[in-house]
Amino acid sequence: MSVFPWLVAAWLLGIGLYGIITSRHYVHLIGCLSVLQSGTYVLLLGIGYKWGAGPPIFYDHPAGTPAVDPIVQALVLTDIVVGAAVTALLLVIALQVHKRRGSLDPQELRPLRPDN
Amino acid sequence: MSLLIAAALCLVAVSGFLVVRSRDPNRQVFALAANGLVLSVLFFVLQAPDVGLSELAVNTVLTPLMFLVTLAAAAMNEARR
Amino acid sequence: MTVTWRLGLFAISLAVLVPALWHVAMALPAFGAPTEMYGAAVNAIIPAARHITNMVAAVNFDVRGFDTLGEECILVAAVTGTCVLLRGARGEDLTAEAGHLPDRPHVERSDAVVLVCRIGATVLLLFGVYMALHGTATPGGGFQGGVIAASSLMLIYLGEGYSPWRHVMHSWFLGALEGGGAFIFVAAAAIPLMLGYAVLQNILPYGQPKDLFAGGLMVVANFAVGLSVAGSFGQLMLEFMEETRSPEDDPIPDEED
Repeated sequence: MSVFPWLVAAWLLGIGLYGIITSRHYVHLIGCLSVLQSGTYVLLLGIGYKWGAGPPIFYDHPAGTPAVDPIVQALVLTDIVVGAAVTALLLVIALQVHKRRGSLDPQELRPLRPDN
Repeated sequence: MSLLIAAALCLVAVSGFLVVRSRDPNRQVFALAANGLVLSVLFFVLQAPDVGLSELAVNTVLTPLMFLVTLAAAAMNEARR
Repeated sequence: MTVTWRLGLFAISLAVLVPALWHVAMALPAFGAPTEMYGAAVNAIIPAARHITNMVAAVNFDVRGFDTLGEECILVAAVTGTCVLLRGARGEDLTAEAGHLPDRPHVERSDAVVLVCRIGATVLLLFGVYMALHGTATPGGGFQGGVIAASSLMLIYLGEGYSPWRHVMHSWFLGALEGGGAFIFVAAAAIPLMLGYAVLQNILPYGQPKDLFAGGLMVVANFAVGLSVAGSFGQLMLEFMEETRSPEDDPIPDEED
């Protein structure tokens, strides 16, 4: 149990990378990138956790009760929202590639030669 | 408590694998939404309510929606060709 | 580079990295052990120093506020890039006819869907604003509230259809929300600098704990981020949906999808 979260994070990283390597559709590739990102979230939040501690919100409990690490939660929180915006940008780029080349298969679209 | 965390971590590993395994992008959209839900449950169990809220709203609703609209736009461009 | 080559390289790198990963996983502190001193210091000092109860919001907008300023700039840049790419390719005039794939049947919306979406969108918008405003007291904040408010806009699309939704969503308003939110955040960072303090230094009065306006400059930063995130995601959704309608070939007449 004490190394399980690190192994799950490494598994998500590995399976996401495998998905990107063997992908046949750019939108599927972007979904695998999202799995890669979730691996880092699991790792960060696993580092911040503490047995028997509560959330770092002291609304109901007084300010001294044991709480988990708020720094990593702040990192992951902004990361999730900004990651979605970057995913949107990647989807738009995939759409433009489809308009120019007619295909969304990474293995068909070898280096983009300047043919118009 | 540790059983709950271990179960949530197992679910996250399975859900990530299923996202990669669904090769058809139209199916992968729903796998992504389920992945967001499972991750949100894990974040709540790890005592991170802010992160769980953020993950739920973004990765279960907005990102699969963007994927669906991209696929629809690509299909329309294809039909127009 | 074909897939076989890539998989071969992947296998080689795995053969090197997996033992290293195992070594590092064993050397990391055990899961659940108290680790970081920074987090413990924040939990111990900030409730009394800033009079607020949500430590994550304090870290986001006060202790590590400069990083959030950078994230805000990333968000604005990504949405700007999206708009430039999409509008540059199709032009800027906007029509309100939905696109239609020729072999798909046209299904009318049922009344239940329309009713649930109308009620749900209103409640969700209010909930998003509530979540954004109460960020310094309870779990929530600008980021969460902003995305919830943006998702309420999509419920309006689901209930009303493309043309009415397109008439309601004004791109200039969403752009003003997004840019205005980012500008307020940058102003909140720059004004203490001009007054002689550090960037994002908390110069406003702190208020009472558990109060709505506790936290000083954090309230301004929270509000700015809420506006900006809602505007950003609304703008993204608008641009994406605009891609699915076709201006040049005429769709089936008087069809609203």
